[in-house]
Amino acid sequence: MRYALGLLLVGLGSLGWETPGLAHGVHIQHRVISGIEIQARYDSGEPMQAAQVSIYAPGNPSDPWLKGTTDAEGRFRFTPDANQPGNWEVKVRQAGHGDIVSIPVAAMDGPMAGEPATVPSASLMKQPGELSPVKHWVTIAAVVWGFIGTALFFSRGKR
Amino acid sequence: MHIPDGILPAQVCAAGYAITGLATWYSLRQINRKPDPMAEIPKASLLTAAFFVASSIYIPIPPASVHLILNGLLGVVLGYFSFPAILIGLFFQALVIGHGGLTTLGVNAAMMGIPAWAAYHLFQAHRYLGRKLPEPTRIALFAFLGGTLGLGLSVLIFLTLVILHLPAEVDARAEQAAVVAFSLGHVLVMVVEGLFTAMLVLFLHRAKPELLES
Repeated sequence: MRYALGLLLVGLGSLGWETPGLAHGVHIQHRVISGIEIQARYDSGEPMQAAQVSIYAPGNPSDPWLKGTTDAEGRFRFTPDANQPGNWEVKVRQAGHGDIVSIPVAAMDGPMAGEPATVPSASLMKQPGELSPVKHWVTIAAVVWGFIGTALFFSRGKR
Repeated sequence: MHIPDGILPAQVCAAGYAITGLATWYSLRQINRKPDPMAEIPKASLLTAAFFVASSIYIPIPPASVHLILNGLLGVVLGYFSFPAILIGLFFQALVIGHGGLTTLGVNAAMMGIPAWAAYHLFQAHRYLGRKLPEPTRIALFAFLGGTLGLGLSVLIFLTLVILHLPAEVDARAEQAAVVAFSLGHVLVMVVEGLFTAMLVLFLHRAKPELLES
């Protein structure tokens, strides 16, 4: 009986040895691709956590190409389709607040065609027209001074 | 709590402008009926500056933070001047700070300005109600209620507008939960603004009571 069990084990072992395709082998392949990462923040500086993201491919502004949610840092990553160059629109929304950013994606030619497209990273870091904190507060102070000036102007006439 | 561009459909934005146009016309007509319409412009201008800056003052309430609105305060102190003051304040907030947007200016002005009228009329009720209370207590109480009601009504309008106009691509359940949590976060701001309104009105009542006669 003990021999029979040993023979069975050897038999099963050799079966396994001869057919490695049945085992749970894992193969990991990798390739380097370029993607887009957005980060959504409220203007108080806090990240928009778990905000809803809708991505629209160029030429189809009504149906989202991809939907998802931001992570705890307000980040969301995606890889646009290289075959659809143009302005990709990313809409982030949470609790009735949100914004839309348009990201230009250039067409790729030559040997890299078919790979995901690339965008200049600088265009994602800062929106055009966004003021630095100092300029922001100087502008606010200028507007407030306008209101104070109006108040002074209209109070002067009564004296 | 400003509704930015791109959140509401165009019809709602147009309706917001129509309501704001009517409300501004009505406010200016009421102001013109005063014996000296210019007399309150300095007060209105200074409080417009306060309203403009208030949206840059944040109160951290996890998970995000909320900012002051002060529409109830403007209603209580300015009366019919509050609507044009809020409209001008919102215009500069959209241009300079990026709060709200130009397409939603009408909706935001109606959302904050009409509750300011409600706050004004509630505050004016202190002349007829609660006569048994001492005058400063009565004034402070109604100012608190006016400041709280102004913001409370605005939050309710915001909640209704956002939930009724969810676009198809948005996960409705998640967005509704987020809007409700955001609105609940404003309960503390309502209390803060009510207290602030009561303190300012009490100060004006003692220092320059004629400023509250509007």
